[in-house]
Amino acid sequence: MSAAIEVHGLRKRFGGLTALDGVELEAHPAEVLGIIGVNGAGKTTLMNCICGIYRADEGRVMIGGRDVTHRTPHEIAHHGVGRTFQIPRVFRKMSLIDNLLVPVLDRDEADPALIERAENTLEHMNLIELRHNFAEELSGGQQKLLEMARMLMPDPTVVMLDEPFAGVHPTLCKFMIERIEAMAAGGKTVLLISHDLTSIYRLSHRVAALNEGRVIAMGSVDEIRSNPAVVEAYLGN
Amino acid sequence: MPPESSGAGRSIERASADRIYYTLAAVIGGTVGIYFLVVPVLDLNIAFHFYLMLWITMASAFNVAAGFSGYMPFGFVAFYGVGAFTTAILVKSLGFPVLLALPFSGVAGVILGLLFAPTLRLSGIYFAIVSLALAGICRLVISNMPDHITGGSFGLQLGSRAEPVHSFYVMMAVMLLALGTILWLSRSRLGKALRAVRDDAEAADMMGVNVTRVRLYGWLIAAFFPAVCGGVEAWYTNVVDTETAFNTLTTAKTVIYAVAGGLGTVTGPIVGSVVMVWLDELIWRQFPLLNLLILGVATVMLVLFLPRGIVGTILRRRPEWRRYIP
Repeated sequence: MSAAIEVHGLRKRFGGLTALDGVELEAHPAEVLGIIGVNGAGKTTLMNCICGIYRADEGRVMIGGRDVTHRTPHEIAHHGVGRTFQIPRVFRKMSLIDNLLVPVLDRDEADPALIERAENTLEHMNLIELRHNFAEELSGGQQKLLEMARMLMPDPTVVMLDEPFAGVHPTLCKFMIERIEAMAAGGKTVLLISHDLTSIYRLSHRVAALNEGRVIAMGSVDEIRSNPAVVEAYLGN
Repeated sequence: MPPESSGAGRSIERASADRIYYTLAAVIGGTVGIYFLVVPVLDLNIAFHFYLMLWITMASAFNVAAGFSGYMPFGFVAFYGVGAFTTAILVKSLGFPVLLALPFSGVAGVILGLLFAPTLRLSGIYFAIVSLALAGICRLVISNMPDHITGGSFGLQLGSRAEPVHSFYVMMAVMLLALGTILWLSRSRLGKALRAVRDDAEAADMMGVNVTRVRLYGWLIAAFFPAVCGGVEAWYTNVVDTETAFNTLTTAKTVIYAVAGGLGTVTGPIVGSVVMVWLDELIWRQFPLLNLLILGVATVMLVLFLPRGIVGTILRRRPEWRRYIP
């Protein structure tokens, strides 16, 4: 099966700090690839390079076989890449419906059809009753769900979730896990960053462990759990 | 009737909300239009109502830059001044009929907007300061142009072309065009994209919004109308000079009126302009010597107690009205 996303030799430096140091990874359709690592390992930088916020110094990013390195974020979004953020970045003074319409503004579909799709997506995320509220009026957990709904609106092939469970109530966490499983079951490629190893191990088909900007281990959950380099990076000697 | 929670129920509810929204827009637009239409007929105060329409247009255009796009152009007067001089120069030096010169004022505003466009990469106070500086530069450039073009320190007089009633109705047409444009913008995809960029440009970019293009479109709409206002006001007063055409008080009043009504809505700048211009007039009549002092205190009180403006505060307290009020 061809990879939905491929990263080859990705390097990113901030002044004297090397945040990514030749990262190599690939993920396939319908696969959840967990990305773990201690703070500062380069997880979010990797996501930012993939979706075009940061310009990689070296290396290539391929989405669906097409080279998107150095493309702008909105061009990469049009290649079928969606994402959420560690701290929710919703459009605060827009209604939930309008938040969901933003990623599909360039679609040829008529407005009523898009609004209906947005409402169905909000229903799927248990947010339908709040559809006319401004996003700033939602709780932190609800904003995370809204981001997820917004990400799903254009039906992306690759979704990147940055710490989706951080600061979220366990009940909501369970709901989000079900939704992420549904995304993968629907054929989407999921890149999942989380410090919550229990959720990562439960959801991921494979896991990549990052340390100091390098992939130090990649494999199944069991392989990663027993990998001495990963254990050392997390727990020290 | 299907329950509101079902898809069909939501569709009916949406259609009903849209009907109320457009009916309200038509009622407000119709009332404003009819009111101003009869001002010359009933021999009401033409000057007062001319400037009321001018401020509604200016505040509404400013709303596109500030309320929809998130910029605070403190040099907004640059578009107004350049528009005023464009009409004056075309009429005085090149013999254009005034009505033909006015669209060129709008074009001049758009061209100036394009020249200022690189500053759109700035945000917040940095954009505001640069905008203010650019307005100063525009003023200096026009001041230093040859006297036979811009009239030097005396400015340009349009001679016997003053037609207060005609210019009044042209101002009304410009105001209605501006309000129609902003009503369309508030519901359009461009309007949604602008609001998304205003709230979080980087997130909007990652959602597929071409931030640079969207910002530019919003900026050019905001630049067009003040330039035309400048041209119409030049026609109305029959004289243009750099001192008045680039007066920073023009920007200050525009900002105050737009903020007083509430940025981000179509009705906010209309309400803000009507309330503040009337208040200004009333205070001026009762306390001519303390006019600016009392108006300043009133503005401070308004911003302190209604930081979201009149319409903004109402919609904050009654969020369910957001879908109905333009």
